[in-house]
Amino acid sequence: MSHSWRRTVSSIPLYIAFILFTILVLLPVYWMTRSAFAASTDLIKLPLIYFPQPTLQNFATLMEQVPFGLYLRTSLLCAFTTTLATLVVSYLAAYAFARIQFPGSGVLMWILLLTMALPDIGTIVPLYQILKTLHLSDSIAGISLILTSTLTPFTVWVLVSFIKQVPYEIEEAAILDGASLPQILWHILLPVTVPGLVTMGIINFVNAWNNLLYPLSFTTSPSAKTLSVAITEIYAGYSPWGKPWELIMAVGVTMTIPVVILVLLSQRSIVRGLTGGAIK
Amino acid sequence: MAKAIDIPENTPATTSRWISVSRTTRRRYLLFILLIAPAFLLRLTTAAYPILQTIYLGFTNLDFLKRTNDFIGLNNYMAMGSNIGVRGATAFTIVFILTTTILDLVIGMLIALLLNANFRGLTFARTINLIPWAIPTIVAGYAFRWLLDDQFGLLPFWVTELTGLRPVIFINPLAAQITVILVHAWKDAPFMAIILLAGMQGIPEDLYDAARVDGASAWQRFWRLTVPLIMPLTITMGLFRLVWSLGSFDLVYGLTFGGPGVATSVLALQVFREGILFFKFGFASAISVILLILVAVIGVVGLWLFRKSEVTY
Repeated sequence: MSHSWRRTVSSIPLYIAFILFTILVLLPVYWMTRSAFAASTDLIKLPLIYFPQPTLQNFATLMEQVPFGLYLRTSLLCAFTTTLATLVVSYLAAYAFARIQFPGSGVLMWILLLTMALPDIGTIVPLYQILKTLHLSDSIAGISLILTSTLTPFTVWVLVSFIKQVPYEIEEAAILDGASLPQILWHILLPVTVPGLVTMGIINFVNAWNNLLYPLSFTTSPSAKTLSVAITEIYAGYSPWGKPWELIMAVGVTMTIPVVILVLLSQRSIVRGLTGGAIK
Repeated sequence: MAKAIDIPENTPATTSRWISVSRTTRRRYLLFILLIAPAFLLRLTTAAYPILQTIYLGFTNLDFLKRTNDFIGLNNYMAMGSNIGVRGATAFTIVFILTTTILDLVIGMLIALLLNANFRGLTFARTINLIPWAIPTIVAGYAFRWLLDDQFGLLPFWVTELTGLRPVIFINPLAAQITVILVHAWKDAPFMAIILLAGMQGIPEDLYDAARVDGASAWQRFWRLTVPLIMPLTITMGLFRLVWSLGSFDLVYGLTFGGPGVATSVLALQVFREGILFFKFGFASAISVILLILVAVIGVVGLWLFRKSEVTY
């Protein structure tokens, strides 16, 4: 009796830490959501209203005033294209690194990872020129191309460790049965590396969806702008004293919903991916 | 197509037990090169080449608007000395990356300890811990800007209710700087926690058992066992964090856009301003080179630290 009471007391600091952590993490999310679904007049009343009358008015206003549907479509297209392209490119390279003997493959892997250390912003000017030359600036293809390149090294790294975990015997048997390389990659290895691919797919989707630098730097026409660019334009389009916070937060909520759903559905998988390459 | 089985001997498992579908080793090498070619071509054209081009452009006065493009030696670097924006940004960048990295590690460690404990709500805590990582940085920037708004933001409202004071954050340089650093920690410490937690869970349980038998308290076990054992990982992550914060520009863009004045401007934001907004490609590239030099310095210091911290168990 007294023992369990003691245990309860000793876990009080733990629960205080848990509650504090929860509040700190969720406070900005609550504030954003509360403001996105509120009438603009309810946001500028004192004392503050914690739970204003919910409304979808702000989303309707966004649809009217900016090509909101188009931005959403571009964001989705960009994120999906990038995710898919990154997985294909990385999967091929990861297979080579995991399974094929090649002198210096360790050094090549190291060089690939080293390019991750270069700050993205450091290459922005030449990339701008390259995309112009290739007629890919101001396009979803151009943004996806650059994003795919940035996300590839980490994806290769994690996928290598996923492929190495697959027992080689399965491929061995297939090879003896006369399977070709594409058959091995597609029919044999792909089904068993699905968890790794899903994990990296989610992580890459989140990264591509969240990216601001490239679309902000390389796009000028509405058809190539993503939601991340849209939110900066809505913010910048108004005077400092009359920011339409209800609209800014509505875009913010729109950008947050897909990533939060992914997190809620696949917390374990994401953690495995984020730590997959580093810690085993 | 004839198939020859070719199992190399005396080589480590997994990487090398390759059964070649071709007769020759050369064929196998070709296959390797073909498979890694897309990844390397991408990195070559959009990372390696642009970096070299950036270094070259740093010596020119390439300007898209003035239409100049001459080799001017070190003039860009000389001009930085008198450029208030760059000088302010350099100072704040260094403070920013050091403080945010230390905060990330400390807060990340605290969160990792919480997520490593056993309590009701653990799964919930681990799940919401991913939200700051997943939320777009620019959105986090604006959400905090609004949360801290001096008129209708929640936190200043609470401060006013409790103390009667009216905090005004974004027009005070020091307050704005502290805010940028704290919000950056909010965004990135949870990710650090995930990595540190994985590191903690990788420590063999029998080490803790042995320490318990020897009478070590929880406090001692943490400082004498956990900390030294995850030190190499902590340093590695600290280095990555330093380098990543150097290139980080979204948060400052959303939260303060470098203001008030240039108090919270970072070099990454200066590159964006000079290069993308003002089309001064040469000057922006020179600032990028400063960033690259900082990356190199961090790398060298980091490797040295890493060598010193390695422990075996």
